[in-house]
Amino acid sequence: MRLLLAMALVLLASPAYAHPPPIGIGGFWGGLLHPYFVTAHAAAIVALGLLVGQQGWGRVTPIAFIGALMAGLGLIALAVVPRYANEALLVLAAICGLLAALAKPLPEPVGIALGVLTGIAVGLDSPPEVLSVREANLMLIGTGLGASLFLVLAIEGASKLTQPWQRIGARVVGSWIAAAAILVLALSFSR
Amino acid sequence: MMAAMTGTGTATLRILMVVLAAACASAAAAHTGSVAGGFVGGLAHPVFGLDHVVAMVAVGLWGAFLGAPAIIVLPIVFPLVMAAGGVLGILGVPLPGVEIGIAASAIVLGLMVVFAVRPPLWTAAVLVGAFAIFHGHAHGAELPPGADALAYSAGFVIATGLLHLAGIALGLLTRWPAGSVAVRAAGGLIAGVGAFFLVRLA
Repeated sequence: MRLLLAMALVLLASPAYAHPPPIGIGGFWGGLLHPYFVTAHAAAIVALGLLVGQQGWGRVTPIAFIGALMAGLGLIALAVVPRYANEALLVLAAICGLLAALAKPLPEPVGIALGVLTGIAVGLDSPPEVLSVREANLMLIGTGLGASLFLVLAIEGASKLTQPWQRIGARVVGSWIAAAAILVLALSFSR
Repeated sequence: MMAAMTGTGTATLRILMVVLAAACASAAAAHTGSVAGGFVGGLAHPVFGLDHVVAMVAVGLWGAFLGAPAIIVLPIVFPLVMAAGGVLGILGVPLPGVEIGIAASAIVLGLMVVFAVRPPLWTAAVLVGAFAIFHGHAHGAELPPGADALAYSAGFVIATGLLHLAGIALGLLTRWPAGSVAVRAAGGLIAGVGAFFLVRLA
């Protein structure tokens, strides 16, 4: 009876997650899935991808993103403790979403700057929460690959939206991302 | 006897330790809250408020009545203006008559559809934008700090957008004479629901 009571209490306890969705997945695969399941990362990357695909910018922006991402992950590997990386990602998601919603032609350096800032913020906001150095390094490699692939897929998807109704849809999604990011930024600053 | 008591004491201690461990287990989250739970919660939030639902559908209906470019502008602008209202709600900036504004939005937008009013785009945008502030303020004030806030916000922004889309889809029936009557009747129903909520507030 006592054992049953104790087991019931253990089962009722909330689980201790490091990152909510890829529960139990560590190492390379945990890192690979990280940007897809952490909402701020996904929002910033999708918004940037929408903007790059909509503007028809070349390969420089994703290359700048990947370079900055690697730099951010490198800084994490060197035990740099970031501050406000998550808030920076929300600001970038709001800016990219707003620019995608407005759909005004913009010069490519704007995209490069946003790519660099988003890349470094994603990298700095991905500290692996594991004890072993080997697993931490595998997670960082996975995050680098996962986030890069995510941006490339988002750009490819957005660049295929050529029909008028598809372009309106992209603008609507941009406004949704911007609105959600603005609300959460307000929430984080109100605390 | 002593041995039996010691045995009982050890068992009690073990159970106490398990209870303590269970009570202390909590989410050690780098990014707080459940993404799926937050998103579903946000998605469900506007759907369970009838005053919000009818007003959002009315925005879509009226957009469809007004045609291009209003039908394109409204779903893009509304979430952004709503977010501005949400920021006021989150920051605790008081906005008088929020619930009255929400009920009034259903009445006014419903009547716009009933009478097929076609004002200039800027007038329609200002009117809808003003009501978006009230809806955003109410949503912002109710944003739960616990769950994944971004997933929750994304959920309710998407739900709002989908309600607009439902209104636009329904509004496309105006291409047919019978459909036009049905849409205007739906506008009347929306205004009626708004009036019900307004009377209830009085």
